Amino acid sequence: MQETALILSYIVIAYMLFSSLSYLGLFALAYGKVKKENKLDKRESTEDFLRNQSTYPVSILVPAYNEEVGVVSTVRSLLALEYPEKEIIVIDDGSKDSTSMRMIEEFKMKKIPFAVRMHIETAEIEAIYQSSIFPYIRLIKKANGGKADALNAGVNLSSFPYFCAIDGDSILENDGLLKCMKPIIESDGQIIVTGGSVRIANGSTISRSKVELIGLPKSPIVIMQIVEYFRAFLIGRLALSHLNILLIVSGAFGVFNKERVIQAGGYNKNTVGEDMELVVRLHRLLREEKSKQRIEYIPDPVCWTEAPESLEVLRSQRIRWQRGLLETLWNHRKMMLNPKYGSIGLFSMPYFLFVELLGAVFEFIGYFIIFGGFFFSLVDPQVAGVMFLVTVFYGSLISALAVLLEELTLHKYPKVSHLMRLYFWALTEAFWYRPLMVLWRVKGIFATFQKKAHWGDMKRKGIST
Amino acid sequence: MNLSHFWILIVSLFLGQLLLLLILAWRKQQSNKRETAINGQYNALTDSFSSHMMDPSDERFITELKASPYQLVVLERLLNHYVSVTKAGADSPAVSRLSEEFLSKRYMKLLKRGNWAMRMNTLYFIEDFRMASLIPQLKEKLAKSSRLDQETQQLIRTLASLNETVAIDALAKYPDAPARLYIDVFKRLDELTKLDELDAALKDEVNNQMLKHSAVSYIGLAGMTLFLPRVEEELQHPDMEMRIQALKAILHLQYMNSPSALAPFFQSTAWPERMFAAQIAGKLQLSRYKETLSELLGDPVWWVRYSSAEALTQFSEGDIVLTHLAESHPDRYARDMANQWKTSLLGSEQ
Repeated sequence: MQETALILSYIVIAYMLFSSLSYLGLFALAYGKVKKENKLDKRESTEDFLRNQSTYPVSILVPAYNEEVGVVSTVRSLLALEYPEKEIIVIDDGSKDSTSMRMIEEFKMKKIPFAVRMHIETAEIEAIYQSSIFPYIRLIKKANGGKADALNAGVNLSSFPYFCAIDGDSILENDGLLKCMKPIIESDGQIIVTGGSVRIANGSTISRSKVELIGLPKSPIVIMQIVEYFRAFLIGRLALSHLNILLIVSGAFGVFNKERVIQAGGYNKNTVGEDMELVVRLHRLLREEKSKQRIEYIPDPVCWTEAPESLEVLRSQRIRWQRGLLETLWNHRKMMLNPKYGSIGLFSMPYFLFVELLGAVFEFIGYFIIFGGFFFSLVDPQVAGVMFLVTVFYGSLISALAVLLEELTLHKYPKVSHLMRLYFWALTEAFWYRPLMVLWRVKGIFATFQKKAHWGDMKRKGIST
Repeated sequence: MNLSHFWILIVSLFLGQLLLLLILAWRKQQSNKRETAINGQYNALTDSFSSHMMDPSDERFITELKASPYQLVVLERLLNHYVSVTKAGADSPAVSRLSEEFLSKRYMKLLKRGNWAMRMNTLYFIEDFRMASLIPQLKEKLAKSSRLDQETQQLIRTLASLNETVAIDALAKYPDAPARLYIDVFKRLDELTKLDELDAALKDEVNNQMLKHSAVSYIGLAGMTLFLPRVEEELQHPDMEMRIQALKAILHLQYMNSPSALAPFFQSTAWPERMFAAQIAGKLQLSRYKETLSELLGDPVWWVRYSSAEALTQFSEGDIVLTHLAESHPDRYARDMANQWKTSLLGSEQ
């Protein structure tokens, strides 16, 4: 027993050290790009597109399920978007609350007949409404089919060549869509998906789609999620995007080439991680076609979203995310370590399997060994001590480093006190937040085999004033 | 596995991070202080700047600016704001004069600097402030560039905004230069130069198809009816892409000298040609094609059906025709489409 525990200890320690090094390597890759663009005058670089008639029109899809609190403010924020030509399509996926009613009343919507092109099969469309104040706002009322099904219905109804999917609880910055479309326009269609950087809105003051004041929330749970975002975005996604092997475009905000999404078969209704699954399928399509088209991530924050403040909601969110990740990796297992899929198959898929998915399992074993070593002589206390230090390094010091790297590159939080609070909270991660995440992520792996797809359940307060 | 080695490693990493934290905190404090001072001066100079822009003989602003320790940054922000909020800002002689006097030396240096973002910002500002004195440096930079990357693209736009036709010649060097970039260049040239360049592009003397496509496309976007006969000639062009550009331009121009030239496009094997022909017939209310539009409502391609129905709504009795077609058209999809359009004139935000 002790020998097995000792071998496991060595494996976990090696794993954590290897993962930490891979994080640092990925950041080193991304550093150049972030630093390069950091001083660019964002307004100057996008203002030309605002007046340009050849800027592609975009359909904005807002899937909503029980979003009566936030849906109107989300649509209002979308109205304020600076973009030459757009349409807004809200998809009420069989909400039990008055999501549709709020939309119909607020925007004076009327029922219309509409010849929807059924590119992708969806659950039954009950009615389509159009605003009599803003004719480019439409509402699809449909039978419940899940978020992926709602998005597919939106894709069917959309009239423009690009669509942008945004969560009902998120606020897009005024120039967010322009910033995301800029690489697509500049690449003349070679970039087929752009993922916008999503930031946590709790603690900041957002008014009329504009972040008036960036601030930090009081709740440590939310502060830790901000640190997590830094860790994921700065240390992971930027570098993967740079290598064209990014597998996740946040469900909260992304712009997609509609034709490509239809070719790929639309969003997958049988997974809770429909955003990641679609991106993997698009990568697969591109690799199989030997296409040079790309998927890109934009470091500039363009979308603000409300993070869960209660442990219960956070728990269900993390279980769902982990489940989505496992389902996607399983559905596309054919790509794993398959040279036919180039760096996606040989690097990205194994990275997501070993670092993002199984990382939780290794860490769980790590915590178990520390506990067992110190209190039950499961392993030599010396080994348990090393494991403890490596866990602190992997959990706390890497996160604290992510805070410092954010300050070094993007420095979006304005006050010195913000930096200090973020840093010192990050140092506590390994002692309370990370064990919770690890536990929930392991639960998420088991949950994959139990439940069917459903919408995330979150109590909204609304983030815009 | 020695515990003390790990302790040393973790403690040194932590101390290293603390040091970095202190440096970053100090840097943040300094940069916040600087930003506050710049904002203070910006606000303090706004009044005298506004007076100076209305009456250049009011020298109060110049005196105050010269006394400011952040004069270049403050002036850059004031001018940038002025240019973005006033219609004629970019062509204002006062903007050019102030920027040439205070900023040209700095921009000359920045253009040669290693920082990509700073060079890009400089190019944007040279364009916004129309700083003609920097043309030689820009041309020199353009001659040295060998890739059509973001910086070269902005360099070309900036030169075009200074009315330099070298921008078009430079684009010709790159066979994969996109149409949007040619259009950006046409958009920035002054009226007379633009007419000459469009004329030359339509004659296709340099045998550059992309230049010609872009010229036709720009003529449509800018509504330059002067070139309508030349655009109509392109409807006979053997290259389909050229014909589609001509159809799009006619749609934007909303006029045709010879509407009969449209007839063959309704039978085209290429659906975009059928779609644009339908859209033009609607926009120009060419009632001779009403029958054809009713037939196209049953086209196999959704976009053609959509555009034909939309076109029918443009006619005075369009709702009656669509009501009739919604009931009697032999094609089920055509009936659906007619039904959709008869109820409501839909559109997107323009």
